[in-house]
Amino acid sequence: MVKFQRNSVFILLIVCLISISISGCAGRSGEPTILTLWHNYGGQLKETMDELIDEFNETVGVQEGIIISVTSISGSASIHEKLTMSANEEPGAPPLPDITIAYPKTALLLAEKGLLADLDQLFTDEELSAYVPKFLQEGRIKDGVLYVFPTAKSTEVLFLNRTIFNRFASETGVSIDDLKTFEGIGRVAALYYDWTDAQTPAVKNDGKAFFMSDSLFNYALVGCHQLGANFIEGNAINFSSPHYARVWESYFKPAVMGHASIYNGYATDLFKTGEIICSTGSTAGIMFFSPTVTYPDNTTEPAELAILPYPVFEGGNKSSIQRGAGMCIIRSTEEKEKQAAVFLKWFTRPENNLRFVSSTGYLPVTEEAFGEIMSRELETIADENIKKLLTACRIMQREYEFFISPLFEGIDQLEERYETGFKSIASSCGDSYRDLLKNSNPEKAYEAVSGNALSELSNLF
Amino acid sequence: MKNTLFRLKNMAQPALHKLQQAGEEGMPLGQRLFLFLAVLVLTIFLSFIAILLLTGTFTAGLSETERFFDNELARTSNEIEEHYDQISLQTVNLAENLSRSIEQKTSIMGISLSNLSEYPYLLEEIISGECDQLLFALQLVKSSGVFLILDATINPILARAVHSRSGLYIKNMEPNVISASSPNIIILRGFPGISRKRSLPLHAQWKMEFDVSDAPYYHRPIEAARFNPGLPISRLYYWSDALQLPGTSEEVMLCTAPLIDSNGCIFGVCGFEISAMLFKLSHSPGSSIYKRLFCLLSPLAADTIELRRSLIAGGYSARIASSKQNALQISKQRHYLYTYRPEQGHKFLGLHSYIQLYPHDSAFADQHWIVAAMVPEEDIMHAVTRLNVILFSSLTLLVIIGVILSFNLGNRFFIEPISKGLNMIKYTDLGSAPRTRIPEIDNLIDYLALRNRELAEKARHENLSFSTLDKFLDRSRELTPAEREVFKLYSEGYTANQIAAKLCLSINTIKTHSKRIYSKLEVSSREEIILYVALLKEIGKEIN
Repeated sequence: MVKFQRNSVFILLIVCLISISISGCAGRSGEPTILTLWHNYGGQLKETMDELIDEFNETVGVQEGIIISVTSISGSASIHEKLTMSANEEPGAPPLPDITIAYPKTALLLAEKGLLADLDQLFTDEELSAYVPKFLQEGRIKDGVLYVFPTAKSTEVLFLNRTIFNRFASETGVSIDDLKTFEGIGRVAALYYDWTDAQTPAVKNDGKAFFMSDSLFNYALVGCHQLGANFIEGNAINFSSPHYARVWESYFKPAVMGHASIYNGYATDLFKTGEIICSTGSTAGIMFFSPTVTYPDNTTEPAELAILPYPVFEGGNKSSIQRGAGMCIIRSTEEKEKQAAVFLKWFTRPENNLRFVSSTGYLPVTEEAFGEIMSRELETIADENIKKLLTACRIMQREYEFFISPLFEGIDQLEERYETGFKSIASSCGDSYRDLLKNSNPEKAYEAVSGNALSELSNLF
Repeated sequence: MKNTLFRLKNMAQPALHKLQQAGEEGMPLGQRLFLFLAVLVLTIFLSFIAILLLTGTFTAGLSETERFFDNELARTSNEIEEHYDQISLQTVNLAENLSRSIEQKTSIMGISLSNLSEYPYLLEEIISGECDQLLFALQLVKSSGVFLILDATINPILARAVHSRSGLYIKNMEPNVISASSPNIIILRGFPGISRKRSLPLHAQWKMEFDVSDAPYYHRPIEAARFNPGLPISRLYYWSDALQLPGTSEEVMLCTAPLIDSNGCIFGVCGFEISAMLFKLSHSPGSSIYKRLFCLLSPLAADTIELRRSLIAGGYSARIASSKQNALQISKQRHYLYTYRPEQGHKFLGLHSYIQLYPHDSAFADQHWIVAAMVPEEDIMHAVTRLNVILFSSLTLLVIIGVILSFNLGNRFFIEPISKGLNMIKYTDLGSAPRTRIPEIDNLIDYLALRNRELAEKARHENLSFSTLDKFLDRSRELTPAEREVFKLYSEGYTANQIAAKLCLSINTIKTHSKRIYSKLEVSSREEIILYVALLKEIGKEIN
């Protein structure tokens, strides 16, 4: 009898296990997990991104029970603001997504609050070894932990409206080689201002700006680095170095004199209307360049874009900033984090990475894709501008050092204050300069207005 | 194979033997109880399944799904209707305000709106003057964009001037973030001067003017206003299908109303935009049951939903369907839900209802729009099957637990006390036997004790001399040692089977011994042996 009772308990246990597994199977049910994604690949990039996400959802997503649902497509600044709001649980802020694009500065803020998943736990060493080490290094933003996964990196290059430049060059004798250095750009910009001014003889001093940098902060960072100095020292800007003074002068003077543009926005806006014809900015900005220039009377002119490696200060070393956001996984359940990692792995597979790169202007992130795109695939790319861009990047990959911006808490605010301060001082000096021009020559007028400008800027910090 | 069969045969041998024995000697009480309970529980289980089938419990998942779709559709439909009503209302307000404001400005400029196209150089000033009103209107309603299009172009001599219209299109890229410090306002169409003056960036696909060559959102309300001169603006606003604005990658729905001055001159349109992303963020159904549930807003024609003309919201990438399929054919099934069948691929199941985007006397009142909520068919089937699997496995589990528990309890509280009682009858002095607390057995013990006493009395009364018992005692000495062993066990109350098991002898051997014992002792049953032994005990004699 005792034996029978023991058997009964055993049978009961088996029955319970079977039933749990039956109901467990019923519970799993193949119901997919929806992972929300925020990204900043808007405009024409959206189409490429949509295609990739659809493909994932239809293939690997079906097998793994994952649906990627995009719930925000907005600019980097907007995503940064939304993430910050959400991280701080501000009223009206949307809930954090499962995967988000984030620049290191944004990711640092999220990591400080413990909101990001440790990607080292979600990828094996072997998997990580496939990625460009410097891109991974940029993602190790806190205590050496990988929080930002490189999905699409970028650097800065020089964009030029070749159509207008050719017209200008044929009349003035300037050459595209003059744009290899920032000093050369300054000289060409002065000539361009005079050339455009001369087209309306009736109106004096109405020349057009030639050049603009999308980020004056990066301009200074890379400029100082090229000259062998540090723009940021001890989490503060070093205004006193002679190298910075040279970098400052190279942009401030053309800006005051109207040869370079001071504009609260991206250079692509001014390219669209022909207000400038040359700029430095992220490779990812390529899709924002319009194939035409629209003039005030709504006439349009096709604009051929030329893309050149990032300019270098005379005597400086060839370096350019390494940019581009990566993707972060927001901390949630272990299962969800693993599923998000499945998407990131798929998205950065060489074949998918190449597809994304060849239609967006970002740089590949895996060694294999970088190697292939730089050799075999380049000729097969249909988009002429992307082809030009990647050709310039290939030169830069061979000859340039990619420089990672320093990262610390508050760099975001520091950058904003620098940009605002520089633009504000340059604009007010520009106004005074134009007033003085009525009775003075340009050099004298500039000297008169620019004497204290640099100390005025440094006093803001 | 042969070996396996042989092994199975060997394993089954003892069980078969037991069954054979049970057939020969009858079934023990425990097995009888188990069989009885098993039949009882199985009958209850089958009856329960039959009741569940009759009451439709196995199809309850489907009914539940139907109720779920009913609720989900009602909620989504109300939400969308409310949202679109607000946009419609604001479109009408904006059109009335802009009509008045532009008329006043042009009148100050000394021009008539009917001749607006003759003053292209004034367009930037007129449009720029309305920028604040457009920005303000954008804040009043949950919309991803606001626009104003005038029936004039900045450069009438251009070849494309016939389809080019001046205006201003302002987009809010983050309409769902309500407290952003710097709302994402950018200009999609309009003069760059406005962008510079207000520090509003240009959209990546910016153009100075609108291309209205294929723009029903521009032409339809203007035509409606021309054909229905008496109708107020509130009856002339128009909702476009979901469309991609020319030269952009934005998928949007636009609500437009004509701009009409006090003389009835129609000089443009204005309106609001709902982008596909805003629609998705605002109206995505959040279901924990059906994660691939999505809803759509679509014009309806001939029982067909044209996906390219619809806005879709939901976790499921229904866009996959829309990018590859053009239409979903609606058909009614025998159950409550509708089937939405694409030309290829998986079907969807769900519900839809009409939504009122216009007043009944609107110029566009004949347009039918529906809101539908649906999921891939396999999801519903899966959910229903899953419920049934859970139900069936739970029932089976309960049955098995019930059988095991009842058998255990039956053994403890039924079989064991009976066995104890029977042993007591066999081995103890019935007169001093303890009570078993089972009335039937206690009665039996009482009865047997009484019977024993009566038998003893009778023996005495019949002058049953001690010589009878002595003779029995003498005859018992004739038993062989083997027969004595069996006799002893008989006298202790063992049955033939038990004796065979105890002495490791076959039942036939025991039977042979029994025959000889009965013959030598001149008795005819085991009970008689037990009685003689009991009587001998009573007179103080024992068989050695």
